[in-house]
Amino acid sequence: MTDIIKRPGGAMANRPLHFFWLADCSGSMYGEKIEQLNYAIRNAIKPMQDVAADNPNAQVMVRAIKFSTGAQWHIAQATPVEDFKWDNLTANGVTDMGLALQLAAEQLDVTQMPERCLPPVLVLVSDGQPTDDFNDGLNTLMNKPWGRKSVRIGIGIGQDADLEVLQKFIGNPEIRPLQANNAEDLVKYIRWASTVVLQAASAPASQVKDQVSGGVVPIPQAPPASDIDADDVW
Amino acid sequence: MSTLLQSKQVIYGDLTQQSYTIDAFLGAGTQGEVYRAHASGQEVAIKWYFPHYIQNDVQLRQRLENAIRKGSPDNNFLWPLELVALPNSTGFGYVMPLRPANFKSIVDLMRRRAEPSFRALISACLQLSESFLQLHAKGLCYRDINFNNVFFDPNTGDILICDNDNVDVNGATGAINGTPRFMAPELVRGDAPPNTESDLFSLSILLFYMLMLHHPLEGKKEAAIRCFDQSAMNKLYGTEPLFIFNPQDDSNAPVAGLHDNALVYWTLYPQFLRDVLTRAFTSGINDQHGRIRENEWRVLLINLRDSLFYCGCGAQNFYDGDNIKTCWACNKPLIAPPRLRINNALVMLNYDTLLYPHHIDQTQKFNFSQPQAAVSRHPQDPSRWGLQNISDSPWTITLPDNSVKMVEPQRSVNLAAGISINFGNTCAEICV
Repeated sequence: MTDIIKRPGGAMANRPLHFFWLADCSGSMYGEKIEQLNYAIRNAIKPMQDVAADNPNAQVMVRAIKFSTGAQWHIAQATPVEDFKWDNLTANGVTDMGLALQLAAEQLDVTQMPERCLPPVLVLVSDGQPTDDFNDGLNTLMNKPWGRKSVRIGIGIGQDADLEVLQKFIGNPEIRPLQANNAEDLVKYIRWASTVVLQAASAPASQVKDQVSGGVVPIPQAPPASDIDADDVW
Repeated sequence: MSTLLQSKQVIYGDLTQQSYTIDAFLGAGTQGEVYRAHASGQEVAIKWYFPHYIQNDVQLRQRLENAIRKGSPDNNFLWPLELVALPNSTGFGYVMPLRPANFKSIVDLMRRRAEPSFRALISACLQLSESFLQLHAKGLCYRDINFNNVFFDPNTGDILICDNDNVDVNGATGAINGTPRFMAPELVRGDAPPNTESDLFSLSILLFYMLMLHHPLEGKKEAAIRCFDQSAMNKLYGTEPLFIFNPQDDSNAPVAGLHDNALVYWTLYPQFLRDVLTRAFTSGINDQHGRIRENEWRVLLINLRDSLFYCGCGAQNFYDGDNIKTCWACNKPLIAPPRLRINNALVMLNYDTLLYPHHIDQTQKFNFSQPQAAVSRHPQDPSRWGLQNISDSPWTITLPDNSVKMVEPQRSVNLAAGISINFGNTCAEICV
């Protein structure tokens, strides 16, 4: 006997959520830093897929931009998160961060985006200062309606990361750039951006009183850095 | 992966001094992480809080201690059993029963990874209503009813309610305001704190989602929004909430192609369900007193389950007089089985129908513990169907010619039109 259809209809209606990695591949990232970033992103794929699978409100699509001397698509095709794979980045050149924002802005144009979406999520990871016209790139991004509506997270790698630039990119004083001073923090922050932020942009979790709520969507608090004195943690 | 607790780590219960050994990380939420652990050969679940969450939620420990002292409202809650801690640490968590693997999440239901029958689905909705009634009757408020806090067995409709650490005395100040899409409009607008009445609204949303696989306020207004961000959510769920099937205002009606589940399911259910859902999301939207209470859901969901019958193709359909004529699955004309009219309710007498004290004893409402009557086939003539008395007491039946007979336990009465059955303190009539 064939299986009886138990109930009619389809899955619950949902919307696409476009997620962009913007990764600094300049020469200063060469060596351990770029390998730590590759590791951290690969490490976040499964948790990201799990969060997406547990969220009936979103179809998560992933893309990635790499920037050094110029900016290129690392993953050009919007890829369903369940098929998302990470090819390792290599580092060499200067820090054309502004061009990376221009590239993202092109794809966030209303002619390129589906008509109805969840807020896009842009995660910018950098260890230094832009060498091109960052403000021009940011303006181009913010002139696009989907750019303005995006949730932007900035992660600085090491002490030389320009946190002011990352704060300008975030554009919301309630969300601070995250500074990863070691590989463990980077893993933690990349994971947070690809799970907690992803979830918040589509199906916000329980609303904790007094949480950040001034932006496009409320973003829960990021995990604390691990280099706090151990006695303070507990 | 870095987690708060590690496999094989041992933590201690503060009531029993029991040592619990961590086995595996199960998942993380906004408040903390959940682990599988064992103690004395028994598996349990442990929720362990993030340090920053403990700092933010100053009443957490006291709330948990109260919950542990009061005990679970019924067996459907994965209720905190005792607090757990580590020596020389301010971190803590709590122990609760472990959820068995046959329980699926409501997200699985929404994504069609779990496919209950209508009967099992309605049973799950009924159990939810009953459990929240028990919780509210204790003077408690849940505060955060949403997809992630309820699990169900797709085969039976049994449910489990987790994340009971926000439960507090109704009216107490808590740390959680609820989850977007489930919060009552007054909470979305920031006009009121969570209470029992806002729980009732969230329960209505969850029941609507389960029955319709859609949100009751997402229609044309949602379709018109390009970017579904916080301001969009505030508008749809807070400042301009409008039911998609509001009979007085169709400006938020479901849009074909975008909201198909709402359109498919709405016509499939009987009018009495549509009437209550309409009330839940019209008068119940802004008026806390207009919200559907669990007891009304219970009666409604039992009636809904009793209205199910099978098409020849095997699909479960709902009886609604002459309103539903064809099967939703095969599109062929439906042939309804005999029915039993008990006061204002109808029970379809399917080949597998069982009647419980709830049906046949006015003093035993909501008692589904032991079946009292079963539809049965005549042992010699398989074309004849009857209702078998599997209770301990005889029934009295009155035939259409006014003759009266007794139906002793284990005997059956023919399913013929016009026969009325006196079960003791409840009378019913067989309709064909």
